[in-house]
Amino acid sequence: MEKIKKRRWLLALPLCMATSLAVAGPGKPAPLPEEEIGLERLAPPDGNRLYVTDFVFNHMVDGRIHVVDGKAGRFLGQVVSGYGALTTVSPDGKSIYVATTYYPRLYRGQRSDVVEIHDGETLELKGEIDIPAKKAQAASYRSMLVPSSDGRFLYVQNATPATSVTVVDLQARKFVAEIPTPGCWSIQSWGQGHRFSTICGDGTLLTVTLDEAGQAKSRERSPRFFDPDKDPIYVHPEMLGEDRYFVSYYGNVYKVGLSGDKPSFAAPWSLLDAGDRKQAWRPGGMQVTTLHRASGTLFVNMHDKGEEGSHKNPSKEIWAYDVSSQKRVARIPSNGAISLVASQGADPLLYSLNVEKGEIVARKIAKGYPKLNTVAGIGETSLFMEVR
Amino acid sequence: MDFLKLLDGFTERRTRTVAQNASRRGFLAGVSKLLVAGAFALPVLPFDRTNAHAAGGHGAAKKKAEPTDTDCDYWRYCSVDGFLCSCCGGTMTTCPPGSTPSAVSWVGTCHNPADGRDYLISYNDCCGKTACGRCFCNTNIRERPGYRMGVHNDINWCMANQSSHYHCTVSIVVGLEEGQS
Repeated sequence: MEKIKKRRWLLALPLCMATSLAVAGPGKPAPLPEEEIGLERLAPPDGNRLYVTDFVFNHMVDGRIHVVDGKAGRFLGQVVSGYGALTTVSPDGKSIYVATTYYPRLYRGQRSDVVEIHDGETLELKGEIDIPAKKAQAASYRSMLVPSSDGRFLYVQNATPATSVTVVDLQARKFVAEIPTPGCWSIQSWGQGHRFSTICGDGTLLTVTLDEAGQAKSRERSPRFFDPDKDPIYVHPEMLGEDRYFVSYYGNVYKVGLSGDKPSFAAPWSLLDAGDRKQAWRPGGMQVTTLHRASGTLFVNMHDKGEEGSHKNPSKEIWAYDVSSQKRVARIPSNGAISLVASQGADPLLYSLNVEKGEIVARKIAKGYPKLNTVAGIGETSLFMEVR
Repeated sequence: MDFLKLLDGFTERRTRTVAQNASRRGFLAGVSKLLVAGAFALPVLPFDRTNAHAAGGHGAAKKKAEPTDTDCDYWRYCSVDGFLCSCCGGTMTTCPPGSTPSAVSWVGTCHNPADGRDYLISYNDCCGKTACGRCFCNTNIRERPGYRMGVHNDINWCMANQSSHYHCTVSIVVGLEEGQS
C-alpha cells in the first residue's frame, strides 16, 4: 500500500508542476481533472444489436462473440466462447448462450463441454451447465443451438459423429436428456410446446415431442419433402410465424409448417427465372437467407456462375423476394457477403457480413435499400450474425 | 486409445474394401451409417475462393503452371476445409510430428487430371495441437450438410479424438470412384 501511495504521489508530482505552469501561463486551459476507471454496461438491446460469432480459425481455442451496435456501427464488447462453440441469443436479448468445449490444459486433459449463460447487458458469465462431451464442434448455424419457444429448454446439437440432441433445462440449470437423432441434423424448434424437428439424410423430418421433464415422449418421421441427392437444402431456417423457410443449393424455396399435429409441406418454388438459370445464379454462403417479417421479404445471398462446390461462395448480389407472391422484388449489391441478417421493428436494417474483411454493411430495408453504414474489422473469422 | 486405434484400423479396411466393391453412393451411405471414420476436416471456411488460393502466402511453393501439394487447387484438395498438413510439417498423407491422426473422417471425390480418373479422398484431420494456421483452403465439391455427415465439412473431424483440437488436414486416396478402373 505504501509503495502504491508513493507511486501515486510521484505520478501526481508532474501534474502539480503542470498545474502551476498552466496557472502561470495566461491563455492555457485548466488542467484535466483526475479520473477513475469505470466499467461499461450495455443498455437493453434496441433491435439493432448484432451478435457476431467468430471462431477465429487460426487459433480457434479462444473463439468469441462480438457485440456491435449495427445502426451506429459501433463495437460494444465481446463474449468469450471457447473452442468450436455453438452460440445463440435469447429472443429478449437478456441472455447469450454458448455451448462450448474446454480442456484443463488448453489442448489436453479431460474434455468438458458446457452451456454458458452470459448476461446480455453486463456481458458477464452468469451461469454454467455441464453437458455430455458430445457437443458438435461445428459451424454455428442458427439451428445448432436453439431455445424452446417458451425459453424453458435449450437444445444442443451433438455429433460424435453419431448425432443426437442434448436437452438442457434452463430454469433448473441442468442437463436433463440426450435424444438420439441418427442420420439427422439441425434443430428446428416449434412455436408451440416442447417439440423440435430435425432434417434427415433421406429427405424427411424427424419430429420429437418432449414431456414436461424434457424427456422424449414421442418421435415421428414425416414423408420425404426434399431430395437430398438432387436438391439438398441448407439447414439454416427462416421463421415466419409457424412457417420455416429453407433454400436449396439450386435455388428452390421449401416452406415447412411446424404447427398442429405434424409438419406440413408446401410445394417448393424457385428463386430463378430462365435467364437466371442460364447465368447459373445460385444461393451461397453460410447464413444464406434472412427474412424481414413485417413485409414478408426473404433475402437470399446469391452468386452467378454457380457450379458444384460453390454453395458456400460469397454473394455477388442479395436478392429480395416477397414470400407471399413468390416474386423477386429487388436485386441489391453485395459486399461479398457470406451471411445475412435482418432486424425487425421500427428501424429495420439488412446486414451483410464479409468474412475476409470482418466487414458488415448495413442497409435500410426501404425502397432502394440505401446503405446506412459500413464497419470493418469485426473479428477474424466471423461467420454468423444474430440481431436483437 | 486402443479403441480408437481399433476403430481406425477397422475404418481403413472398411473404407478401402467398400470403396473398391460398392457404388459411390452406397459407399457414402455406408460411411454415414457407420459414422465411420477415418478422418476429418474442420469447420468450414467460406472464404472467397476467388482470392483464397492463398496457400502461397504461407511459405508454400510459388505459383507454377501445375499446382503442387501446397496449393489449394491441387487435384486431391477438391473438398478440403482447413489447413494443409503439407504446409504444417506433414505431407498430403502424413500428420505433422506430435499430432494425432483423427479417428473419423469425411470423404470427397476428386478428379486427377494426370490419369483422368476420379478418386475417393479421405479428409482426415490431424489433432491434438492447436490450429496450424498455414495454407488455409476451403473447397466444397460434393460437400453436403450434416444430414449427410459422411460428406460434411462444417464440423471438426477431430471430434472423436482424445484431444479434439484441430491442427491440419490430410487428403488420402482410399480408392477409385465407381466405374473407374
